[in-house]
Amino acid sequence: MNKKRIIIVPLTILVLIGCANKQDGNDSKIALMKKTDPPPIELVDNPETDSYGHAIKREISKMKELYDVAVIQGKEETLVVYKVKHLQRFHMKKIEKKMDRYLEDKYPDEDFILSSDYKIFLETIRLKEKLKKGSIPKKDAEKKFQDIVKLQKEKT
Amino acid sequence: MGKSPKTPEQKKYEQLEKQYETKRPLLKNVLKAFFVGGFFCLIGQVITYIFIYFFNFTEQTAGNPTVATMVFISMLLTGFGVYDHIGQFAGAGSAVPVTGFGNSVISAAIEHKTEGYVLGVGGNIFKLAGSVIVFGVFSAFIVALIKTILIQLGVI
Repeated sequence: MNKKRIIIVPLTILVLIGCANKQDGNDSKIALMKKTDPPPIELVDNPETDSYGHAIKREISKMKELYDVAVIQGKEETLVVYKVKHLQRFHMKKIEKKMDRYLEDKYPDEDFILSSDYKIFLETIRLKEKLKKGSIPKKDAEKKFQDIVKLQKEKT
Repeated sequence: MGKSPKTPEQKKYEQLEKQYETKRPLLKNVLKAFFVGGFFCLIGQVITYIFIYFFNFTEQTAGNPTVATMVFISMLLTGFGVYDHIGQFAGAGSAVPVTGFGNSVISAAIEHKTEGYVLGVGGNIFKLAGSVIVFGVFSAFIVALIKTILIQLGVI
């Protein structure tokens, strides 16, 4: 009887998780573990003149402490999400400061939000996949981007 | 009084005791505790990732629900009588992680159930875990106080 229960409880939990069934693409499925190297998302009105997402991505990727960088360029602010190599995670604060200083020097007029959070990275990949599939219009993408920024600011 | 030098009889008794004392396999116990404790942490990490991946938690905020889930699981296991065996096998490895907290709450409740629900269960449920809460809250208060002072002084 007892043994049955011990099997049933974890099984229920697993089934409940299975029910969450989010339709994720290939990249977001592995986004927490492997390098995905997503192209930057640019939500600006005229990408030909205003866009600098690609440049930032290229420059930030050069840092040897990081192994994956995702950039979303919104209308007012730019979100830079990165994954830090495992042993370098001890210097997380230092790396963020270094990046912040670098970006402020290079683009003094822009607002940057830096994050090393896996969740923010995952959401970025999900947004990228949705845009690629064309399942959300650009206006909604901007809203989703604001949601990600809000999530990043949450503390508790 | 307590620190007075030992009498010859006491010394003799100590030597006698050493002869008959069963040797504890210290290294074996430490290794068991290390691996079982580490295994709990592995489960905790998996739960954290589940919260990040399937729910709206960031790396920073996923810690709270993870702790709650781990405590809940250990409470269930204590109720089913599984955690006793784990505790016997792993010792500190099962008591030191947060799962030990759930175990101490429920085992006290089970022990005092015969004394009634109010005076027995209600009065004794936090017999062991109460000190964790008291010193946890108190030390958090002290640390927060120090942090506030340091921020006011402009050190951090």
